[in-house]
Amino acid sequence: MGVSGWFRGVSPYGLAFSLHRITGIILLIYLCMHLTYLTSLTDKTGKTYETLISITVTPTFLPFDILLVLCGLYHGLNGLRLIVHEFGFAYEQRKAILAASVIITIAAWLYVSYVMYKIVVGG
Amino acid sequence: MVEFRIKRFDGSRSYWQSFEVPLKKGMTVLEGLLYIKENLDSTLAFRYSCRMAVCGSCAMKINGRPRLACETQIAALKSDKITIEPLDNFIVIKDLVTEFEGFFKKHERVKPYLIRDDISYESPVELIQTPEELKAYYDFTLCLKCGACYSVCPAAATRDILGPAAITAAYRFCMDSRDRGEDKRVDVILSDDGAWRCHFAAECSEVCPKNINPAKAVQKMRVKAAIKGIKRIFRW
Amino acid sequence: MSMKVQHDIVIVGAGLAGMRAAIAAAEKSNKLSIAIIAKTYPIRCHSVCAEGGTAAVLREDDSFDLHAWDTIKGSDFLADQDAVEFFVREMPKEILRLDNWGCPWSRREDGRIAQRAFGGHSVNRTVFAADRTGFHEVHTLYERMLMYDNVERYNEYFMTNLVIEDGTVKGVSAIELKTGELVFFEAKAVILATGGAGRLYGFTTYSYQVTGDGMAIAYRCGVPLKDMEFFQFHPTGLVPSGILISEAARGEGGHLKNKLGERFMAKYAPKMMEIAPRDIVARAMWREILEGRGFESEHGPYIALDLTHLGEEKINERLPLIRDAAIKFVGIDPVEEPIPVRPVAHYTMGGIHTNMWTETPIKGLYAAGEVACVSIHGANRLGSNSTAECLVFGRVAGERAAEYAMNAKDNHIPDSFVKEEETRIYDKLLGHSGDESPYQIKRELNETMDKNVWIFRDEKGLKEAVKKIRELKERYKNVEVRDTSKRFNMDLQSTIEIGYMLDLAEVVATGALLRTESRGAHYRIDYPYRDDKNWLKHTLAYYTSEGPVFDYTPVKITKWQPVERKY
Repeated sequence: MGVSGWFRGVSPYGLAFSLHRITGIILLIYLCMHLTYLTSLTDKTGKTYETLISITVTPTFLPFDILLVLCGLYHGLNGLRLIVHEFGFAYEQRKAILAASVIITIAAWLYVSYVMYKIVVGG
Repeated sequence: MVEFRIKRFDGSRSYWQSFEVPLKKGMTVLEGLLYIKENLDSTLAFRYSCRMAVCGSCAMKINGRPRLACETQIAALKSDKITIEPLDNFIVIKDLVTEFEGFFKKHERVKPYLIRDDISYESPVELIQTPEELKAYYDFTLCLKCGACYSVCPAAATRDILGPAAITAAYRFCMDSRDRGEDKRVDVILSDDGAWRCHFAAECSEVCPKNINPAKAVQKMRVKAAIKGIKRIFRW
Repeated sequence: MSMKVQHDIVIVGAGLAGMRAAIAAAEKSNKLSIAIIAKTYPIRCHSVCAEGGTAAVLREDDSFDLHAWDTIKGSDFLADQDAVEFFVREMPKEILRLDNWGCPWSRREDGRIAQRAFGGHSVNRTVFAADRTGFHEVHTLYERMLMYDNVERYNEYFMTNLVIEDGTVKGVSAIELKTGELVFFEAKAVILATGGAGRLYGFTTYSYQVTGDGMAIAYRCGVPLKDMEFFQFHPTGLVPSGILISEAARGEGGHLKNKLGERFMAKYAPKMMEIAPRDIVARAMWREILEGRGFESEHGPYIALDLTHLGEEKINERLPLIRDAAIKFVGIDPVEEPIPVRPVAHYTMGGIHTNMWTETPIKGLYAAGEVACVSIHGANRLGSNSTAECLVFGRVAGERAAEYAMNAKDNHIPDSFVKEEETRIYDKLLGHSGDESPYQIKRELNETMDKNVWIFRDEKGLKEAVKKIRELKERYKNVEVRDTSKRFNMDLQSTIEIGYMLDLAEVVATGALLRTESRGAHYRIDYPYRDDKNWLKHTLAYYTSEGPVFDYTPVKITKWQPVERKY
């Protein structure tokens, strides 16, 4: 069936799995971009880096950054949930734990987005 | 009247075919399929036997989810179009019949039998097991080997893996107080296509017709096997 | 030319008896090459449907003689007593072996194997695993069978014929369903363990696949069938599907009530009430229905099985499967309401004629399980004795076949036979165009059997049945197999199975017509009494192209003389 089989889950846990894969892929792409970004520092002047920063840390790019943070928070917190279960714990409470991890993800994301907003847009 | 839309396969090409089935009160999907076979098109191939949800023959994808056709009431699907396909993650032989040799071979690999060297074939002796000890593994003995869990496992979509049913069978024996064979099963569980392929999508538990919770068995078996595996490294 | 495969022993049928035979033969010698072929995967066999339990003498309050007496009295004295005495002595070890092999027997508080009450047994000796005993036994045997390297499984191979030459069996021919190709198994010994013939009837507890394959093929090859007119009607089949509601429901205390709310069994079997033997309860229920005291419904009349007074905990612990089945298939929770039930065709007491050692008159051919008639069940089988029979006689067949095979020479199937079988299957059946639908023939067969060869039989009805079956057999010659491909051709398989059922139905109906007495499960309204003077004998039916020819053989009596059967 191939890769499409990864995203066929319809239960909350199946959906959480699909999202974990998708956010994982996004983060992987972002990681490559980020490393490329940082490699620019090898020009020893910091000029390329500063130019890149002035383009990307702006209100236009803010929405992408906010979405990226959501991916990171989701992948990390869901990952913690998976660690708990894959060590054999709390299978019977899986619904509550999934709900909790989603709620914490959203709450943390809202807070972090607000902070980023203040930094980038100010006021 | 209900429309049965069935995904068919004749060995070389795959195609959809629709049939009109007269709906009677209490009619199951299996009865609908038998109506088609006996009255409309007898070339339709599908597995069935007990019609009481104990043999596991008739697992198929009905309106998007794997179910046992014999215990699925058409009325409960709340639709006048019933879409029927063979199980995902299995190779299709014909129409709704899929290849199960591999599935059973995987089950065999985990040594799903009681391992104990103090039993005698000629003069067997009763082994004591309290009701509490029985309860610890009993639910996992109810597996029909129907294949529904394997068909929804996302890990099985891209790789031939041991799968939830086989690992649940291993766990069932490791939790049976009479068994002494856990060591013999560790290697196959920790193998490349074993418990490590599980990432807890837990879809298997959602579709199991006997509500066995294979997802739980896989995690528990993973932990048991991993602990044994680590101990082995240190004792080495 | 079709493929030929060589093995020492070929077992046809992978249910309880077949798998137990495979294990027994493999234990006898690991040098024997054993093939077990079945038309479904082993764990999809009909044996998984067995619910109530397996009887064995395990504790001090019981005795072999008592189990034997219960069985012989239950059989209405048609059982061969030497075989019964052997059978009850072998049973306890089978229970313990299954325990050793991992079967999840239900336990007493002290951890020892539990036993429950069952119809016709005077002591609680039915060992059980919740109410899914057959399911657990099958899985245990299958898993144990995996341990033997010399047992090779041929899954989804559908037997089409036996190869017999000079009174000796040479092998088996079967269709590999996946490819549709014929495969010829050359064997020194063959064990038939293909089960009963329940799908002769429309209202039946049997799986769809139980079509009497082994019985019909053996019959056509000249092996006599014994006591085929004795068909057990289980009292409690769920209406309308026919799904079995285990005798355990009554064993654990369930009550049968007619539409007046009466526990009517008090009139028919005042001492044992609902746990009298099955034929007595089934007749009682049917009489209540015939006399108008049954409930009416769109699916026909029914009797109420009331479990409400047992309580949810007991039902969940001891009868979980039937609670599940009632909720899923009828929408009724037995904890709250009584379940609708009606007597249903359930077990074939008759079968291939074998002696106590599972030997048939053909050298090297053995039969065990429901397909065989030893006979230990006689005219009526006690509950929890069939799974037991499969275990004991499966073992005997495996050992006997192993001993025979170890001293026998290789067999070869002549090419002429291969050609004949290929012609018969591929030219004459597959893609045969005609104007009869095999499914229509099956429907009419079921209707006739349900009407005229049911619990209460009479000469007029039976004559009608025989005439109708002969007509259906003529029509069958013109049957059409629409699916002309070879790949997994279930149309061809179903058509061949319907042919088997027609042959068997003729034997059942004719045998019932000839037996002018009532004994056990065979009840004639025109001959309502047991006639030991003329009829204390087994019926043997031999195949001829004009229909079955009958002979009789005496019952073996050792300790117990026939008495009136009262409960």
